[in-house]
Amino acid sequence: MVNKLQNKLQYLSMEIKKTVKLLPPMLLQIILLLSLTAMAVFGGIRSMGRESLAVRVEIAVAVQEDMTAMTEMALQYVENIESVSQYCHFRQTTEQEGFALLEKGEVSALVLLPPGLLEGIMNGVNPVVEIYFPKNAGLEALLFREMTESGEGLLRVAQAQIYAAGDTARAFGLTEQLSQMEAGIDSYNLAFALDRLALYHNEKVSAFGSVNVLQFYLASGSILFLLLAGMAMYPVVRREPPVFCRQLERAGTGKIWQGFCQWICGMLCVGLFAGILWLSVRMFVRFGPQEAADYLVTGGGYPGSVRMELAAAIIMTVTSLIYLVHSLAGSRTGGILLVFVFSVVMVYLSGGLVPAMFLPQAVRTVGAWLPTTWLMRAVSGLLAGRGVMEMEACMAVLCCYTIVCGTAACLVRGGGGGRGTGH
Amino acid sequence: MENMITVTELTSAYGRKRILQGVSFAAQRGECVGIVGANGCGKSTLLSILAGTLKPRSGQVSYYGKTAWSDAGSGRMHGNREVIRRMTGYVPQENPLIPELSVYDNLRLWYPDKKTLQNELEQGFLSLLGLGEFSAKRVSRLSGGMKKRVSIGIAMAGMPPVLLMDEPSAALDLICKEDIRRYLQVYLERRGTVVITTHEESELELCSALYVMKEGRLHQIDRSLRGDALTGRM
Repeated sequence: MVNKLQNKLQYLSMEIKKTVKLLPPMLLQIILLLSLTAMAVFGGIRSMGRESLAVRVEIAVAVQEDMTAMTEMALQYVENIESVSQYCHFRQTTEQEGFALLEKGEVSALVLLPPGLLEGIMNGVNPVVEIYFPKNAGLEALLFREMTESGEGLLRVAQAQIYAAGDTARAFGLTEQLSQMEAGIDSYNLAFALDRLALYHNEKVSAFGSVNVLQFYLASGSILFLLLAGMAMYPVVRREPPVFCRQLERAGTGKIWQGFCQWICGMLCVGLFAGILWLSVRMFVRFGPQEAADYLVTGGGYPGSVRMELAAAIIMTVTSLIYLVHSLAGSRTGGILLVFVFSVVMVYLSGGLVPAMFLPQAVRTVGAWLPTTWLMRAVSGLLAGRGVMEMEACMAVLCCYTIVCGTAACLVRGGGGGRGTGH
Repeated sequence: MENMITVTELTSAYGRKRILQGVSFAAQRGECVGIVGANGCGKSTLLSILAGTLKPRSGQVSYYGKTAWSDAGSGRMHGNREVIRRMTGYVPQENPLIPELSVYDNLRLWYPDKKTLQNELEQGFLSLLGLGEFSAKRVSRLSGGMKKRVSIGIAMAGMPPVLLMDEPSAALDLICKEDIRRYLQVYLERRGTVVITTHEESELELCSALYVMKEGRLHQIDRSLRGDALTGRM
């Protein structure tokens, strides 16, 4: 019994020794891989981080006379109103050009400004501004129509207030105070009613969920990096030749222990790679631009034990996945290829390369069940700070994946390393 | 005198294909049993069973009176791996080595006691194999002959009284073959028992009993006919 235990521990120490000897070439590959992944993450952030709007409304504006200085000023004023400038782009055209553009679908609406518009407003004539929409108005046209109608409604209320104040002042002989009353009404309207942004519920909608673009790509990049590092780990987690396994079994070291020892060594490697990654991020936070660092780590604040448990769960799950893939492949070339394809496809399906909301529903449904989804959730949770309960649930799921993948790998190895290959 | 190995009516099969059909033989201390036969006739299967890495279908194997494999009339085979492990050393065709580690580290895996290993390397069987000279070398940098010597060294861990060798000289040069033959001679002189499958005439010279395996059965032949046995004329 003691002898068998001694043999088992001896095997474990030899596997660890082998792993340590293999580390220098592995580390070189890992540093190269880290640089490539960092470049990919940087590219992703650059392409997705512009926060451009999904909807941009093109509006043609045609003035039915030579544009006066006042009309131009009024147009600039409207363009610069925040709610308008965020969504609309005005293009000055002639009436004819405007209709042509509307027909081609190049603009979502055509606004025809009548002659003497501002003067009319000032003297109470209120000339009609005509707005034309295409027959089959799209989302952009509907949005502009909504904005116009809400603006028109506000203007109507403001004018009614002014007229009511004028009539009341005249009826009670307070015409001297009229200008003061109008100024008061104007200031209240400008402060409250005419602030059209106050009408909208201000909600930030992001394809990245509750994390920012930097956190999103760091989380998915980290998982992709750790999984791809599995390519360099082939010598550590490879299937040993059947003859070697059988000799070990003869000496009392069974297949399960053999698998466990290799898994432990794999975990040491993944842990080391995760440590390198963590150090790189720490260096960035410490020596990188302060603004970017603040943007990167916005949450956290978990107790150290929770952070350690979460990191351990991530490392164990990644190890089991790599171990399973190499068990399925069975050879160096097959293993490297399979790890690459598996990592990229899994991270893609989990919405790590392109945010999940841009993927088809079927892909999103599949992605929700993948371990990479939970791995990315755990990493982004560490950066952005989610509820402790949510993180504990994440940990539990990752532990389940670890057990399932580890067991599957053992079964694959047990079945594949069949006995008696000689004759 | 008690036989060191007794094999009785051993059968084995892969699925429906019968490999061994009632194999029986015995060997005493200091005896070398040679088994020859065409490729795929079941020589390695027989050695795997004797080494405990493959389960037979029926029959009995015992080492020095201690049962290693037995169906004991129940129809189900029972193996005593502890007996097999203590009594036999096994040199398979492929070398069971970790290429990334040194010769010394590979040996340490099978010799848990550091002192014993050191003694063996300095003045024991391992020094006879010449392993002391290149114990610091990485296995991946060794020649085929050197690797085979390390495999033999591994099989000798715990000094088993029976050595099972599966074509130990295959694909080795003449000098290596001669070294292995000399080593076997010393082992036999020290009253060890060897069961060897081979295609080498020089190794057959050491054998006190010679068998040809044909269609899953062992046929004992006269040592003088070993040349015919090797060329398949029997």
